[in-house]
Amino acid sequence: MASSPTAAAADPEDLFAPEVIADPYAYFGRLRETDPIHWNPRAELWVVTRYEDVVWLVRYHELFSSAVIKTDRRPPHPPIDPEDAPLFEQVRAFRSDQLVENDRPPHQSMRNAVHEYFTPQAMESWRSFVRAAVTELLDEAEPDGRMDVLEALAAPLPVRVITQMMGVPEEDREHLRHLADRLLYINRGEPDRMRHLMEGIRGMIEYVSPKVDERTAAPSDDFISVLARAEKEGVFTRHQVLVNTALLLFAGHETTMNLICNGTLAFLRHPDQWERLRADPAGASRLAVEECLRYDPPVKSTQRIAAEDVERRGKTIRKGDRIRWFMAAANRDPRAFEDPDRFDIGRQPNPHVSFGAGIHYCLGASLARIEGQEVFRALAERLDSLRLESEELEYAPSIQFRSLTSLPVAWA
Amino acid sequence: MAREHRIALDHDLCMGNGQCILLAPGVFRHNENRQSEVTDPAAAPGETVLQAAIYCPTGAISVVDALTGEVLFP
Repeated sequence: MASSPTAAAADPEDLFAPEVIADPYAYFGRLRETDPIHWNPRAELWVVTRYEDVVWLVRYHELFSSAVIKTDRRPPHPPIDPEDAPLFEQVRAFRSDQLVENDRPPHQSMRNAVHEYFTPQAMESWRSFVRAAVTELLDEAEPDGRMDVLEALAAPLPVRVITQMMGVPEEDREHLRHLADRLLYINRGEPDRMRHLMEGIRGMIEYVSPKVDERTAAPSDDFISVLARAEKEGVFTRHQVLVNTALLLFAGHETTMNLICNGTLAFLRHPDQWERLRADPAGASRLAVEECLRYDPPVKSTQRIAAEDVERRGKTIRKGDRIRWFMAAANRDPRAFEDPDRFDIGRQPNPHVSFGAGIHYCLGASLARIEGQEVFRALAERLDSLRLESEELEYAPSIQFRSLTSLPVAWA
Repeated sequence: MAREHRIALDHDLCMGNGQCILLAPGVFRHNENRQSEVTDPAAAPGETVLQAAIYCPTGAISVVDALTGEVLFP
C-alpha cells in the first residue's frame, strides 16, 4: 500500500489522496452517480455511496456485521511500525468488546442496558450543564478577539461533558483530558499510533477499574454506575465495562469536535445562513444543527463486514468482504435531498444519515444535538462579526473522520 | 364531538432506527421492511408516543385527526 506521494496522487482509487481528503463530496459524489457500489482494489473494500443503498445496508444488520475488528484479519492500514504488531493485537482485543463492534443478540442486551441513560429526555437534563460549559469556554476566549475553534471550544467541550457523565472529580479532569487525547489516535494514520493509543487504553483501564468497584458497592447516577449494574446483571463482563467506558470518552470526542468545527465553517462560508441563525439563535439552532450534520458530517464513512454473500445492483459482495458506506455521499444524494449541495439551515425534513441508521443508530445522538445547538446558539448570540482568519484549512488524512486540524476565527 | 386521534407513521421518512420502539415498545414495532409500524394506530397517544414523535430522528411520527388527517402533534 505504501507508495510515493506522486504515485498516490495519480491513483484514482487512493482514498487518502490529498484532493479526496480536501473535498470528499466531489470524489464520492462522482462514485455515487457512476458506480454506487464500487470495489476499491487498493483499499480492498466496497465503497457504498447512494442514500437508498446505505439505508438498506444498515437495516440488514444480519447480512452486514459490525464485528469488523474481530472478524477482519487484514493488517492495519495505513501500516504501523512492525515492532508494534503485538500492540495492535492488544488494541484489537480491547476494541472487539466495544458495544458498536457487536452484533445481535449480544448487541441488543448491551444496548438495552445503556439505553435509558441516553434517551432524548434523559439527555435534555444535560442541556444546562452544556450551556454553562459553552459560556465558560467562550468567556475565556472572548477578550482575545480570536480563537482556534478547535482548541478553545470544540475539543474541550465534549471532554468536560463526558467526564462529568462518568462522575470524574474536578482534580482528575486534566488526567482524563490527557487520556482522551491519546484515545484520539484510534482514528489516526501515523505509523507509531498504536503506542499512543495503548497508553490511552491502559490509562483508562487503570483509572476506571477501581471506580467500577466503588460504583458496584455504592451506585450513583453516573454512567459508570449504569455499566456496573449491567455487569452485576450479567449483561457486561468487567472487561466490557472498562472498554465501553473508554468508548464513551472517544466516541463522543472527535465526532463532537467535528460537528462544531465543520458546522462553524459552513456558517462562515454561507453568510446568508449565518444571518438567518443570528436573527433567531434559540429558535433556529435545532434545524440548523441537522443541516450542519447533513452538509458536512463529522463522520464521513463507517465500516461493516459481509456475513454472507449478497447481491446488489448486479454486484456480488462476498462473505468476509469489507464495506464502507459514506454518509458524506448519501447526505448529498439528489434522489433523497432537494438541491443537496446547498447549505439550508431551515431544511425540513432532513433525514440525513450522519448518525447512521438502524439498530446501531448513534447512542449519543441526542447529546451531540444538544452540544451543537448550544454552541451555534452561543456563537450567534455573542460573536456576531465572526469571520475566518485563514483560508489555509487542513483536514486530518482519515477515511472515516472529517476532522479539521484547526479553525482560526476572529470577531474583534 | 371529540376529535378521534390516530398515530401516523410516514414510511417515506422512516429510516428504521427503532428509536420509537425503544421509547414506546408497546405501540411501535418493526415491520418486514425493517421500518417501524404502529401496532394500534387508534390507541390513545400517551406520553411515550408524544416523546417518540418529538424525538423521531426523521420526524416520521405524528398524531393526526382520524377524520381530516390534520396533524395535531408535533
